[in-house]
Amino acid sequence: MTRGLAVAEPGLLTTVQDLGRPGWGAWGVPAAGALDEEALRLANRLVGNPPDAAALEITLSGPVLRAIGDLELAVVGGPFGPAPGEVLPLPDGRTLALTAGPGAVRAVVAVSGGIDVPRVLGSRSTCLSARFGGFQGRRLQKGDVLAVGAPVGPRLPGRANVPRPPAGDVVLRATPGPQEDFFDPEAAAAFWRGTYRILPESNRMGIRLAGESLGFVETAALPSEGTAMGAVQITAEGQPIVLLAERPTTGGYPKIATVAAADLGLLARTAPGRAVRFERIGFDEALRLLLEREGDVRAGSAR
Amino acid sequence: MKRTGERAWLLEWSGDESEANAKARAAAAALRASNAPGLLDAVPAARTVLVLGGPLFDPAVLPALEADPPASAPGPVPRRHEIRFAPDGADRDEIASRCGLSPEAFVRAFTGLTFTVGFLGFSPGFAYLYGLPLAFHLPRRPSPRASVPAGSVALAGPYAGIYPGSTPGGWNILGTSSQRLFDLRGDPPFLFSPGDTVRFAL
Repeated sequence: MTRGLAVAEPGLLTTVQDLGRPGWGAWGVPAAGALDEEALRLANRLVGNPPDAAALEITLSGPVLRAIGDLELAVVGGPFGPAPGEVLPLPDGRTLALTAGPGAVRAVVAVSGGIDVPRVLGSRSTCLSARFGGFQGRRLQKGDVLAVGAPVGPRLPGRANVPRPPAGDVVLRATPGPQEDFFDPEAAAAFWRGTYRILPESNRMGIRLAGESLGFVETAALPSEGTAMGAVQITAEGQPIVLLAERPTTGGYPKIATVAAADLGLLARTAPGRAVRFERIGFDEALRLLLEREGDVRAGSAR
Repeated sequence: MKRTGERAWLLEWSGDESEANAKARAAAAALRASNAPGLLDAVPAARTVLVLGGPLFDPAVLPALEADPPASAPGPVPRRHEIRFAPDGADRDEIASRCGLSPEAFVRAFTGLTFTVGFLGFSPGFAYLYGLPLAFHLPRRPSPRASVPAGSVALAGPYAGIYPGSTPGGWNILGTSSQRLFDLRGDPPFLFSPGDTVRFAL
């Protein structure tokens, strides 16, 4: 192998992800892909990759990686390693410890040339729940060696920034969900007023939240329907889950809201234990925010 | 038509569920076949289609599709499957007695049914099969099992299904099949597609 990354320490949960595999929902296949899409796109741009090149998604405790061949890496998302948001040269044989800084939850580590694993159903993303894609369908382990492709495009000059969760409550803008009217008006109002803590049981399927219960939810009457990224599902115990990239493609719990796509990266960067609340916005506003964010990503930073 | 986010729409049909599902399947297949610019996915479910679009997708076509779905699904001709299974599931006797039958009589009745793949979900390759008579509609188990063996042939509500892999699950387990439900290197990768018909045999 002329170019590769050897995993000296895997970190808590390190997986290969790209922009995911939408289009297989009718066969029950989750799209998967990086939870922080803007971090992936920016990290890829920093090292001269196309936006859909595969990278590593790292979680809470970062990996230690050794270069095979002369590589360039970029870490975007949470503050991991010596220089988040910048290009890090990693010469052949050198090791890089992506130690978590304060409040670091997730980040994307792009490498010049992209992680070269086989595409499965059109994507290199790992689907942990069904154990396929990525590197052998699983999280990385000590001793794994990943092939890296040949570098392709020009690097993005300078550095890339993504918004960090502010002090205090993290506000997630959200549109009304398809079953908001399933809840009585007081329960719906309580949801939009409420403050919720991110639970450590959160994973790539969803961010679990705990706060004032919206009451017992009777779901017998609700048939299964397709679930969208960012949908806020209310569990039988009346607590919200924000559905993410590895959510089951269909589900029968009512969805009271949908987190705006522009704010999903921020949610991915917010640590368990932090408080979030939801700010109700309209669909046009959510689309405007998304287009604005995409313009920022093209310009090299995201507000 | 409902919305679930700035780039996702839900088309929905009321009335009998399996009839609504047939409309959802046809509408999803029609959307897929249209190659509409920016369409990312069209996911049929019990009585809805979830439409996911990129920034280029124009949702103007959706209201007419919901109001007047095509009479039949375009695309590949539905396939017919015969699935062999052993009626050795942990809940077999309980299923039969709740349906007022002996285990042997229940299995005989079950193998006489023809099912339609309504939609897939829950996990890759898990098909929700319509075709159980009302008398065989049983509630899910009161508490889900932590692990249902791969290949379990199971029933819940109006559906029968086969667990593609070992997962947690709350359905009533009738038996076991060794039929492989997906092979990601295969073409097509999935045995079942929406609209296919399925019969079970011993």
